Amino acid sequence: MTPLGYFTLMSAFLFCTGIYGVLTRRNLIGILISIELILNAANINLVAFNKYLGSSDGMGQVLALFVVAIAAAASVVGLVLIIAIYRNAKSVFVEDFNLMKE
Amino acid sequence: MQDLVFYFIAGCACVFAVLAVTQRSIFHCALWLAMTLLSVAGVYFYLEAPFLGAIQILVYVGGIITLFVFAIKLTAHIEDKSIRQLNTQWLPAALISLLLFYILIQAFASHPWKNIIPNAPVTSLQVIGRSLMTGYALPFEFMSVILLGALVGAIVIGKVKK
Repeated sequence: MTPLGYFTLMSAFLFCTGIYGVLTRRNLIGILISIELILNAANINLVAFNKYLGSSDGMGQVLALFVVAIAAAASVVGLVLIIAIYRNAKSVFVEDFNLMKE
Repeated sequence: MQDLVFYFIAGCACVFAVLAVTQRSIFHCALWLAMTLLSVAGVYFYLEAPFLGAIQILVYVGGIITLFVFAIKLTAHIEDKSIRQLNTQWLPAALISLLLFYILIQAFASHPWKNIIPNAPVTSLQVIGRSLMTGYALPFEFMSVILLGALVGAIVIGKVKK
């Protein structure tokens, strides 16, 4: 069986890729895509540790299910917010949303 | 042999993830994200969590990606290829994420992973169902409230005000 370290390595790579996307994207939808990557990285760790060091009640997989549900709710609200902002400002680029700065 | 399967799936996931955050066209990014999520579902199947893999494909690839495509198409002209998709701080951001990756690798390398062998019993669907209805019943009910809140909130925010 694959050592547990490879799973944490893969999840760390996905996490850092997501961080890079959040920091560099101008497009709000691109930022949401990167956030989905970050949540998936956490989920891989939960499932892998459940497989290797798991408890009898399957805690890791249950928590991973909760993370999937939270991610779905978050992306729904995020996308609706983006569409509402787009309706007002006619843009989805983050540098156009500086209302609170002025 | 089993290891090779994992290396293939993990390599695919990493390459697709990099493509999902670097592609110019945001529509292609959503499609690469779908491929990444499918690879992650493959990792779940490899880890003997078939229920979670099925949920991943149903909820993410079937639901969330569709929502992303709808949102991209509703905010029409932004998928034009001539528009710059990265902001001016891509170099510091790349350095920060590489530094974070290096720190994480160093932290992982200091642990003896080879000694950990999978000795936990395989989590069956019955075990997950029983846990959701007994030990994790309260967070499960909270989750339904959160989903209802997200549903109603999405309708209220998305409504066109007359």
